[in-house]
Amino acid sequence: MRKLYQFLLPVLVLGLAPAIASAQSFRVQCPDSTITHPKSLHDNNSEPAYNGPTVFGTQAVSGSTGGYVVPQSNVNGAIKCQQISGGDGYMTEADGTQTFMFSFGPLSGLADIAAGRPGTQFPNAFNTPYLDWCTANPASCSANGTLVRGDPAATDGANSSPYSVGTPGIFTWNGAVGLAPEVVDTVNISDAYEGVLPTGGSVAPPCTTPTVSTPNLVTIYTYTPINLPMNSQVIVSGVGTGYDGTWTISCVSNLGFPASTGFTQYAFQYSVPASVTGLAPQELLTGPTASAPFLPDGHVDPRQIMDIGVMNGNIPAPLIAFDEDDEFFLTLTNVGMAMRPDLFEQHTVHFHGYPNASSFYDGVPDASVAINIGGSFTYYYLSPDAGTYFWHCHITPPEHLQMGMVGQLYVRPRQDRVAVDLAGGKLYAALQQQNSGVDLRTACNPGADILCSAVTPPTANTVTRPDTGTLCSGATPLNEGTKPNYVYNDGDGSTCYDVEYPLQMHGFDPNFHFVGMTFNPEMFADMKDKYFLLNGRSYPDTVGPNSTLQYVTGTGSTLPIAPPGPQATVSSDGTMHYSQPLPAIINIPAGGKAALRLVNLSVSEYHTLASLGIPMKVAGWNAKLLRDQAGNNTEYYTNSITLGGGESLDVILDASDITTYKAGQVYYLFTPQLDHLSNDAENFGGLMTEVHICNSVTGGNTFGNTCN
Amino acid sequence: MRAMTMKNAISQIARILVPIVLVFSLAAATHAAVPGITGGSTAGASTFNLTAQDGYLNQPDGNAVYSWGYGCNGAPAGFAPAVVPFTTISTCPSMQVPGPTLIVHENDVVTINLINQLPTAAGNTSILFPGFNVCTGTLTAGVCSGTTGVTGLLTQEAAPGGSVTYTFVASAPGTHAYYSGTQGDLQIEMGLYGAIIVLPASVPGNCTNANSYHAKNLAAEAHWGEADYRLSQAAYDHPASCYDREYLFQWAEMDHRIHRQAEAQVQARIGCAAGSVGCSLDVQTEPYHPSYFLINGRSMPDLMDPNYASEYPHQPYNGNPHIHPGELLLLRTIGQGRWQHPFHEHANHVRILARDGNLVLSPAPAAGCATPGGGCVSYTSGLTGDPGVTAPGLAGILQFNTDTTPGEAFDGIFYFTGRGLNWDPYGHHPGADVGTNGLTDPLAHAGCTADANGYNTGDPTAVNFFEWCQDHNKPVQVNPFGDVAGGGPATLPDSNILTNGQWYGGTPYLGPDASLRASMPACATGQPGGVIPGSNPPVSANCTTLNPANTQANPANERGWAFMWHSHNEREITTNNVFPGGMLMMLLVDSREFPIDESL
Repeated sequence: MRKLYQFLLPVLVLGLAPAIASAQSFRVQCPDSTITHPKSLHDNNSEPAYNGPTVFGTQAVSGSTGGYVVPQSNVNGAIKCQQISGGDGYMTEADGTQTFMFSFGPLSGLADIAAGRPGTQFPNAFNTPYLDWCTANPASCSANGTLVRGDPAATDGANSSPYSVGTPGIFTWNGAVGLAPEVVDTVNISDAYEGVLPTGGSVAPPCTTPTVSTPNLVTIYTYTPINLPMNSQVIVSGVGTGYDGTWTISCVSNLGFPASTGFTQYAFQYSVPASVTGLAPQELLTGPTASAPFLPDGHVDPRQIMDIGVMNGNIPAPLIAFDEDDEFFLTLTNVGMAMRPDLFEQHTVHFHGYPNASSFYDGVPDASVAINIGGSFTYYYLSPDAGTYFWHCHITPPEHLQMGMVGQLYVRPRQDRVAVDLAGGKLYAALQQQNSGVDLRTACNPGADILCSAVTPPTANTVTRPDTGTLCSGATPLNEGTKPNYVYNDGDGSTCYDVEYPLQMHGFDPNFHFVGMTFNPEMFADMKDKYFLLNGRSYPDTVGPNSTLQYVTGTGSTLPIAPPGPQATVSSDGTMHYSQPLPAIINIPAGGKAALRLVNLSVSEYHTLASLGIPMKVAGWNAKLLRDQAGNNTEYYTNSITLGGGESLDVILDASDITTYKAGQVYYLFTPQLDHLSNDAENFGGLMTEVHICNSVTGGNTFGNTCN
Repeated sequence: MRAMTMKNAISQIARILVPIVLVFSLAAATHAAVPGITGGSTAGASTFNLTAQDGYLNQPDGNAVYSWGYGCNGAPAGFAPAVVPFTTISTCPSMQVPGPTLIVHENDVVTINLINQLPTAAGNTSILFPGFNVCTGTLTAGVCSGTTGVTGLLTQEAAPGGSVTYTFVASAPGTHAYYSGTQGDLQIEMGLYGAIIVLPASVPGNCTNANSYHAKNLAAEAHWGEADYRLSQAAYDHPASCYDREYLFQWAEMDHRIHRQAEAQVQARIGCAAGSVGCSLDVQTEPYHPSYFLINGRSMPDLMDPNYASEYPHQPYNGNPHIHPGELLLLRTIGQGRWQHPFHEHANHVRILARDGNLVLSPAPAAGCATPGGGCVSYTSGLTGDPGVTAPGLAGILQFNTDTTPGEAFDGIFYFTGRGLNWDPYGHHPGADVGTNGLTDPLAHAGCTADANGYNTGDPTAVNFFEWCQDHNKPVQVNPFGDVAGGGPATLPDSNILTNGQWYGGTPYLGPDASLRASMPACATGQPGGVIPGSNPPVSANCTTLNPANTQANPANERGWAFMWHSHNEREITTNNVFPGGMLMMLLVDSREFPIDESL
């Protein structure tokens, strides 16, 4: 028995060890260099042009690492990051009702989200702490240099719900909320020596006692162990010229030993340049310190996370967009639900439609992990094929989706990045390269792979991408500000668009949301949506405060039309939050084409959306190009589309006929399901928005642009 | 043992919620397949003797719902798949929902003799076979003469106690629906529907070529002791319709208030004379308010219990799909209710092959497809010795949400390989440290040789057969994770802020071997595998940061990747207002060392 006891004890201790958790485990991560995107080949803070398939080599085996492929040239894609909160919040319905939601909110890219753009960032933007932006923008920064509850609405001066939003655009910071330096490990220095130590001096292994042959090796003795590993940076301060500075630690000896004066000493070493010689020994110091540099390393300040994340729900959830070949780091931070303290809801992210997903990052709590309150989890994805996807929480889906945890996500094709050097920028040649098999991940060989759609067209063409200021049609209207892009790698320009707008169809059942705000059981079978939302707003909020009110329907609008701002809601914390940043107003330059990235995330109904006037070309379906295996486009024209919950498609609103579609005209997108053209008791509104034909569109090719 | 695997956790949750004791089958799980009955089609003719009767369907909330269904009038000619032990476990009760799956061959003359044994007050009943040219009399050399049954609106019907005969040539391969043609708003709601599967007359050569992926998959199955449960090797006489596994899902919703009314009225009219005044039902079928959402007549979690499980004597068919990476899965799907359901397949897209037995193809030359081009595609794996077959290209769309539409069947192809994850799902690493850090698993160092499509298919007996080689050896985690060297993209969090799911394998990895390697070593300092640089206190490089998994639904010998297949009108994944339930099942992608046993 005695032996058994001895055996079990350490096991028990080990078993307890993992149970020690911090009160909160908020973290973010956004590396600027990875195996697939080494910054030695590209800095990852911009999207490199597509010059052909990535050429790989093999990383040499070293010990038990290596042996995998690494890019050698033509590295494609970059790194993108985003942080979101899981929690709750309020939104404003078009009839003025405030509705409680379980919801995601932005915790990075705040300015972009507020402006109606994707919140997805390159590493350099994501990793910029608020303090750095604040220092550079003192006029926009809060008095005490910290984020203010309700930001960016607070800094922008949003003052009443839902439209008076102050001055959007004051707050321009897009970094990750909570970024803070590593908890600074500062220790006090007792002694400092360059070169050989005084008589009797020594250091414990793994450090080595300096000799005359190491005259520039500095040995620092400290009162407490420095919590930094070998090869990390250390800032030495207050010892004196020569010693002070930022150095690379060459060894750490944390085995304490008694100093001559009685206290316990610890040591680390670094080397100063050969030119720095003859530094005098410094002994029995009390003021000088050694500390870790202020580098964001993923640790966050939970106060800022809670200040910004609580009651910060958005509908739709923060917009995500990145490019094919990117690596995407999506950090979900669960801040809990202030209005439902009785719940301990976990949240997850389901990247809906991700092909060949791993169950680990699929976000289904039954098949993976769910993220508890107080924790962060970073989902990692290599970009799938271009297309319109979406994302949502997968905890108790009929509840969390109805309550509002639904967001849009799209992937831009590498065809947008085709380099001029690649066969003169010809799209067909670029697709041939992509399908050539040099990088099998990007290839589409329909004879062997039944699930790919970007088949090379059956006959060659010489289509190239137009320049900025030129429309897909080739026309060059005055002052046009857009640059054509593509929905898919089509190789023939058939999915070309001038402006793009993600549109999410959803429905809210006010009874269910009311029950969701209280402590009663929810009834699923009785669910009946009464608000019908396009990007979280019903008409007329879909077009914001700056549109409908300016003209009489049928007579045309008064141009220019400034972009509608984010819609704000006073939450139960008494603070104004941007609750519905995305409008649904469609601005198309005369002669242009608009890509509508349409999804339906309704929990209970199929939705139909019709276009009154402008034909819809359906170019993609469920994030796949509409093309048969023989390479023929199977796109089709229609004036209405129908989607079930969890479905997406790509529509190109083709207004390229300038004799029919003229600047100043207004068209409508609306649902012919007539009972959905209502806002609860109001027999008006619902799932509807406006399409504006503009002389030109400036200020970007998506929401937030201006119709001139 | 796997009976407990698939249903356990969620079934227990659901059953705790309701005060009823259901008898658990202690039999092991049967993984779906497409079980059904055959009509002795060897002579080119298939005959089925069916009856329409009433009975009760068991739901996971404890309700036994009064329903009507088709069943066998006497033993059928045979059962399919005709492999052990389906040959012994298969049954065809006299009432079941969905009705018996009728499995025939293309060009068979199919005869269905239906006897109406519904309660007299239910009146006449019938069956429609959309897509087939049905003769209700005698079909002789293509000529229909005479008639059976009594005249109905859409077809000849069987009066109470009477019978009717339907005969047709199974002219189109594929998956087809059959359902009542009499007062469908009530009779189909009550459960009178089923599936008929027509197997192609010939199988394209590329489906069976000795050097094709399909032959390799078959060799892998044989190596791990798996049987071949397929009804055929192709869904159609088209080289893009080859498949390696198949599953049938029939979607329907149920408003139990309608069933209660029918039950009460049937009870009140017992003994009435057929056709007499008052001997009929007056059931309100509107407003329609379903609260049960069924796949193959069952709701989650019952759905994932075995085929022919004794708990569900009138719901023999399950929904419990399993596949290995690289296998092509044929999805046979039918919308049998009155609503559409967006069927969301996690993990990958589905290519729609056909609707109601009609292949969706590219326009091709009238002369046929001698060479690729002009609408024709060469279907070959590209492997040496697999010349392939050239045929018109598929033009069916790719979907991650396949709508099920009332009365419509579709066939689709799905697969999973893990291509493009950018990390090695098997957690391989190349080091030569076998035995040096307490680990002696040579599988950690398995090789990966890319074929023409990038997959490791040289050796069908390999555990990592069909691994996507571009990600071979690539770590998932920055810091070392399990038996995997560091340098990957992401950092995994403190496991204490996570909640593990019932089907979670406990690590990010696929399969028992990789999961074991990742989670086995003790988190002891001084482990020979080394210490994570900078960790304080020092953490062993072999120490997983994740907690052990729940082992009930995805046990240590499986550790598959589970993906939810469900209705994305999410309120339909509930059972009478309780989540989880309804139209929800888990697809398990299993690594090769877990033999998928579609039988007991």
